[in-house]
Amino acid sequence: MFTAQTFVGLSPEIVAFLFSMVVLMVGVFVPNARGLVAGIAAFGAVATFVTAAVLLLSGFGGEFLGNAYVVDAFALYFKLIVAFSAFFAILAAIRWSGRTGDSPEYLTLILSVAVGAMLLVSMRDLFGLFVAIELATIPSYALVAFDRSRRESPEGGMKYLLTGVMASSILLYGIVLIYGASGSANLADVAETFTGSLSPVALMGLVLLISGFAFKLSAAPFHFWTPDAYQGAPTSAAAFLSVAPKAATFAILLRVLLEGMPDAAPTWTAVMAFLAVLTMFVGNLFALRQRNVRRMLAYSSVAHSGYILGAFAALRGAGVDTAVQAVLIYMAAYAVMNLGAFFVIDLVGEDGKSFNGLFKSRPGVAVCMGIFMAALVGIPPLSGFWGKAWVIFAGVEAASAATYIVVGALVINSVLSVPYYFGIIRNMFFEDPVTGDEGPKGTGLVLFSVYALAVATVVFGFFLGPLSALAERSGLL
Amino acid sequence: MPPQVQQFVDTLNAALPLEGYLVIGAIMFAIGAWGALIRRNAVVVFMCIELMINAVNLSLVAFADYLPDAGGFGVGYAVLVIAVAAAEVAVGLAIVLAVYRSRKTVNVDEVNLLKG
Repeated sequence: MFTAQTFVGLSPEIVAFLFSMVVLMVGVFVPNARGLVAGIAAFGAVATFVTAAVLLLSGFGGEFLGNAYVVDAFALYFKLIVAFSAFFAILAAIRWSGRTGDSPEYLTLILSVAVGAMLLVSMRDLFGLFVAIELATIPSYALVAFDRSRRESPEGGMKYLLTGVMASSILLYGIVLIYGASGSANLADVAETFTGSLSPVALMGLVLLISGFAFKLSAAPFHFWTPDAYQGAPTSAAAFLSVAPKAATFAILLRVLLEGMPDAAPTWTAVMAFLAVLTMFVGNLFALRQRNVRRMLAYSSVAHSGYILGAFAALRGAGVDTAVQAVLIYMAAYAVMNLGAFFVIDLVGEDGKSFNGLFKSRPGVAVCMGIFMAALVGIPPLSGFWGKAWVIFAGVEAASAATYIVVGALVINSVLSVPYYFGIIRNMFFEDPVTGDEGPKGTGLVLFSVYALAVATVVFGFFLGPLSALAERSGLL
Repeated sequence: MPPQVQQFVDTLNAALPLEGYLVIGAIMFAIGAWGALIRRNAVVVFMCIELMINAVNLSLVAFADYLPDAGGFGVGYAVLVIAVAAAEVAVGLAIVLAVYRSRKTVNVDEVNLLKG
């Protein structure tokens, strides 16, 4: 039943959706409206962020649409991350999307992904979850394939599309089997079926569901689309897709597992521990071999998925509270540092050599990139350190053999990842610039984003208090 | 009517067991997955994936019909899934077309600029 409250609960999505339509229509009816549509889209992202922030600060909450859609602090928090990254992706897209004259469509697609991701984190109904995840994914295929001036872009889009659609069908099979086994698609009813011993249908549904999610999260062994998609995509799209839909998917996986199948925790924490360890090693070992910085960052995002999955392995016993906090903190930390690193690529170039001697030619950008790389390694007190620290705390508190293995793997992998992140820092500070460089690229907006995100990465530690307080009043604990 | 024929007609009129639909759905899904893995033409791969989605939809409709109180929203979910699959096809074929325009081929083995 619709009430006025339903619309209040859905207001961040409604705002983002209306702005995406306005951007599209202005693009159709106003000629040469590049600057105008970009301004409208950026304003739309800010408006969405403010709406979600107001809902969060006012303590608004509730269940809508027949218990299928829930607004709680947890969901609103992830909506903030999505709107935040959408804003910076739009800023970075302004320069690029003007070139081919399609900027309204491009910005509409970014906002559509944001709408899907924001709906996703609130879903408590498995089929609603499927529709929302597709709403976030289908525009992202188009985003990856958008740059017609590079042959890699449609290719990356096609590979992403074929694997993504296949993953969707596997995820859907899992959802259907869970629906069949429990007689309802609502997470509250599903929780009654997923108790101590699982029926074969329910177990198979769980396995397929987790496989589908692993695809979407680029967890090994389902990660192979990630480097191709991120290398082919326009940089702003790669930055956005590596943060917003991924954060939303982690959030909904957390909700499905904690609300839908808490009694089956021994089964799925074991699976998560296995996935986490495998994903960390695969991501880092492949990243070590890369010469293309964008491809390296794609593998690094695989590795970071592994670290976050490590928190999922600790979702049992005494570790639950800290593990939920770890996912919340890690996602925010990852958003600021990864967006920043991708935007620096937009400014400098994706070949490893283009970073040579950057400190001499553009010291500001070089220092920012150094900060992002150090944060991705996990050097204290930068943002990435706090994410990893919370995953380790959660693993120690859960105190099972599996979580100790995960914590050990996380530490080993942090060391493994040092060479490729610090390789870039070495190139920037100690190598000579390549002669014949075409000089500085990029506009003030991208530069502004890079500086803002670098500052956010450095001062992230000060936000830990509010963040963990927020985690405590999230609806999941 | 002889009793054997009567028995046969009764069997035909009886409701099929749920397992029948599920097994057919699983077989269709497996055929689709197999085809998606071995075929090289992107359009055929896409068709195989559509077969997988429709196999899942068959299981979904069967569950919705057999579950007590029709499992809530029931068949309505299947309509949602069909709509999502249609949206995927719309975007998917556009991307395959874009690849064909830039490469003059949609063979997934020959589209290999990105690797490593």
